[in-house]
Amino acid sequence: MKKAAVLILTLILAVLQAGCAARQDDRINVISREAGSGTRDAFTELTGIKKDGTDNTVMTSEITSSTFVVIKSVSVDKNAIGYASLGTLSDNVKALSIDGIKPTAENIKNRTYPLIRTFNIIDTGALSRQAEDFVQYIMSSQGAEIIEGQGYVPFAQGQEYHIKEDMEGRIVIAGSTSVAPLIDVIADEYKKIYPDVEIEIQQTGSGAGITSTIEGACDLGISSRELKEEERLKGARETTVALDGIVVIVNLQNTTDGLSTEEVRQIFTGKRKAWKS
Amino acid sequence: MKNYSERIMKFIFAMSAAASTVAVAIICIFLVYKGVPAIREIGLGDFLLGSTWKPTEGEFGIFPMIVGSIYVTAGAMVLGVPVGVLCAVFMARFCPRGLYKIFKPAVELLAGIPSIVYGFFGLMVIVPLMQNVIGGSGKSVLTASVLLAIMILPTVISVAESALRAVPESYYEGSLALGATHERSVFFTVIPAAKSGILAGVILGIGRAIGETMAVVMVAGNQAAVPTSLMSGVRTMTANIVLEMGYAGEGLHRNALIATAVVLFVFILIINLSFSMLKREG
Amino acid sequence: MKYKRQSRSRKPFSLLVRLIVTGSAAVTAIILVSMIGYILYHGIPNLTMKGLFDWRYTSQNVSMMPAIINTAIMTFLSLTLAVPIGVFAAIYLVEYAKRGNKFVKVIRTAAETLAAIPSIVYGLFGYILFVITLKWGYTLLSGAITLAVMILPLIMRTTEEALMSVPDSYREGSFGLGAGKLRTVFRIIIPPAMPGIAGGIILAIGRIVGESAALIFTAGTNPAVPDSLFASTRTLSVHMYALLTEGLYEEQAYATAVVLLVLVIGINSLSKHVAGRFTNVKRGG
Repeated sequence: MKKAAVLILTLILAVLQAGCAARQDDRINVISREAGSGTRDAFTELTGIKKDGTDNTVMTSEITSSTFVVIKSVSVDKNAIGYASLGTLSDNVKALSIDGIKPTAENIKNRTYPLIRTFNIIDTGALSRQAEDFVQYIMSSQGAEIIEGQGYVPFAQGQEYHIKEDMEGRIVIAGSTSVAPLIDVIADEYKKIYPDVEIEIQQTGSGAGITSTIEGACDLGISSRELKEEERLKGARETTVALDGIVVIVNLQNTTDGLSTEEVRQIFTGKRKAWKS
Repeated sequence: MKNYSERIMKFIFAMSAAASTVAVAIICIFLVYKGVPAIREIGLGDFLLGSTWKPTEGEFGIFPMIVGSIYVTAGAMVLGVPVGVLCAVFMARFCPRGLYKIFKPAVELLAGIPSIVYGFFGLMVIVPLMQNVIGGSGKSVLTASVLLAIMILPTVISVAESALRAVPESYYEGSLALGATHERSVFFTVIPAAKSGILAGVILGIGRAIGETMAVVMVAGNQAAVPTSLMSGVRTMTANIVLEMGYAGEGLHRNALIATAVVLFVFILIINLSFSMLKREG
Repeated sequence: MKYKRQSRSRKPFSLLVRLIVTGSAAVTAIILVSMIGYILYHGIPNLTMKGLFDWRYTSQNVSMMPAIINTAIMTFLSLTLAVPIGVFAAIYLVEYAKRGNKFVKVIRTAAETLAAIPSIVYGLFGYILFVITLKWGYTLLSGAITLAVMILPLIMRTTEEALMSVPDSYREGSFGLGAGKLRTVFRIIIPPAMPGIAGGIILAIGRIVGESAALIFTAGTNPAVPDSLFASTRTLSVHMYALLTEGLYEEQAYATAVVLLVLVIGINSLSKHVAGRFTNVKRGG
C-alpha cells in the first residue's frame, strides 16, 4: 500500500514539474496529417516541405487522419499550427495569409493564393454508363454551380447537362475525405434527377481511393492531390473537378496573421520552433 | 436411422468447435504469410529497433510504436489498477446494498460505451483539461494513459470483484475472531487470498489497453517518435495500423503494417500465455 | 456483514483504508457521471436538429436513421453466422468431448486467443482477405463475417458456462428414460440453459454496436441502407467516426453519441433482465 502511495505521489510531482516547464515556452506545436492523405501530399509539395520525393515534415509533429481533430486541436491550443481544406474551415480557428495573400475563394479563383490544389476524379478508362454520366454531370455547368455554392472554385465552367433516359445502377466512389463532402452534395442533386441510381461514397483517403480504383474495387476514385507517375503507369487517369485552397490555421489567440511560404516550410520541417523568433 | 442423425449432428458439433481453431489458424497464417516476408525485407533489426517510420521513403522502424504501446499501457495500469482494485474492494466489502444496486450497473455501463465515444470525450474534455492544467498540446502519453485507465476500469473492477467474492467467508470471519478490524481483515486476509484473481483482471486490462485503437488515436498525438516525457505525444502500434491502413497500397507499406500487427499479436500471445499460466496456478 | 458495525474503529489505519476505498469508488462514479452528463448535456439539444432521423441520408440532414437500421442489419447478420457455430461448438465441448481431450485443449486455447485479438487486427485481416484478396470490396458481408469471428469466442464461452450449469441429474434422468443424446441436448439441456445463452448473445450485440475499428475498412462508410449483401454500410459507431473525419458535423456527432449511449443502456438492462431469469432458473433447478 505504501509503495503504491509513494508511486502515485512521485507521479503527481513529476507531472507537475513537467507541467511547469511546459507552461513557460511558446514552442510551436505542429499538427500534420497522416502519410497517404492527399491534403498532406499537396501541402508538402506546394510549400517545398517535400523535396526530391522526401517528405521532411518534422518527426515531432502530431499526426491525425481527421480534419476534425486538426481543427479542434488548433482551436484549443494557442501554440498549435495546422492545415485544412478551405471548404472545411470553421470560425473557431484563424486562417493565415500566405505571402500576404488571404485564403479566400476570390484569391483562389484568380490563382494568387499560393497553396492551391486540385480536386480530382480518378478512373481507369473503363467506366460503367452511370459512372461516366455522373462524371459528365459533375463537369457540367450545373455541377460547376453546385461546386461554387459549396465554397470551392470549379475548374471548368462546362456545358449544360441534359437529362438522359433510364439511368440506373450503382456507382461506388472511394477516396479523399476532403473531396467526399463535395461529391456527397453533387451526388444528392444527381440522385434527385435519377432516383434509380445508387451512389456509394467511401471516405478512405486519397491514396486508398486511387489504389482501389486501380484494383477495381470501386468505379471512381476521388483525390485531393495529383496522380503520381507510378499510378499513371498502372492505368489511372484524372479529371480535375475543382480548385481548393489549403489553409494554414492557428489558434484565435495567436497574434500572427500571416506567414511566408518560407516560414511555413521552416515551421513544418522543425527548423523554426518558437512563435517569437 | 436415428443413429445416423446422432452421428451427423455430432460431426456438425465437432466441426463447429473446430471453427474457432480454423479461424485462429487462418488469421495466423495470413499475418505470418504477409508480415514475415516484409520483416525479412526490412530486416528484423531495422524493423523492431529502427526509430524512423517514413513509409513513403522506405524507412520502416516501429521501435517508437512498440515503446509507445508499452508506455501508454503501463501508464493506464499505474492509474487504472489501484483505482479499479480498490473500487472492487469497495463493491465487495464496503458498499451498502442500496448503493450497490446502482453502482454495479454503472460499472457495466462504463464497459459498454463504444470506444469511439471514449475517444470523442477524450478529445473534447480530457485534452483541453490537460492543456489547461499542464500546458503543451494536451495530447500526450499521460492523456492517453488517463483515457485508457478509464476504459480498463470496468474490466479490472468486475474481474477483481468476483475474485474477492470467491474468497470463502471463513477467512474473513477467522480474522475478525482474532480481533482484527473489518478493514484489517479485508486488506490482510481477503485481498491476499484473492490475489491471483485480481491479477487475472489486471492482465485482461493490459490486453484491452494494448489493443485499444479508436480512442487512443484521437488523444495521443500520434507522433512517430519515441516519447521523451509524459508530456510528449505518442503513437501506438494500433494507431499506426489504423492511420495508414487505408492508404497503404499493395506492397511493402501495407505488409509493414501487417508486420506491425504481427508484433502486436505476439504481445497479445504473451499476455494470454501469462493469463492461462496464472489460471492454472489459481 | 453483521460483524461490521462492531468492528468499526477509529484506528488511523481503518480510517485510511475507508478513505482510499471509498475515494476510489467515488473517482469511478465521478468519471462515469461526468462523461454521461457531458454527452447528454451537449447531445440532447442537438437531437432535435432537422432531419436527423430522416429515412434517407443526404449531405444536408446527415441523418443517422440509415446507420441505426444498418446497425440492426449488421447485428442480425453477424449473429446469424456466429450463434449457431458458437452454440454448437459449446455443445460439443460440454456434452460430447471427453474430459482432458487434446482436441478440446486446442479449441479452448484457440478461442482464448481469438478473444484477445484487438479489433484493429480483425479489421486489417478482413480488409486484406475480403476486400482486397477476394475482391468483394467494402461490403456488408465482409463486415459481418469479420464481426462474426470476433464474437464467436464470446458466444462459445457464455454458452459453455450455461450448459455446464445444468445439473447432471437432468442428463441422467433423460438417458434413464431412454432418450438419445441428441434429444437430451435439445429437449432437456438447452431449455434451462437458454437464458444464459441469451445473455451471451446480448453481450455480443453490445460488442457489435460499439465496434468501429474492425468495420471501417471492411464494411466501409457508405451512409445508406444496403440493398444487398455486397453493398457497403455504416453502423452507428462508424457513422460517428465518419462525422468526426471532416469536422463539419460536430453537433450531429454529439447527438449520435447520445443515441449510442441509450442503445448501450438498453442492451445492458436487457442483459440484466435475462441474467436475473437465469439465476432464478438455476436456483429452481
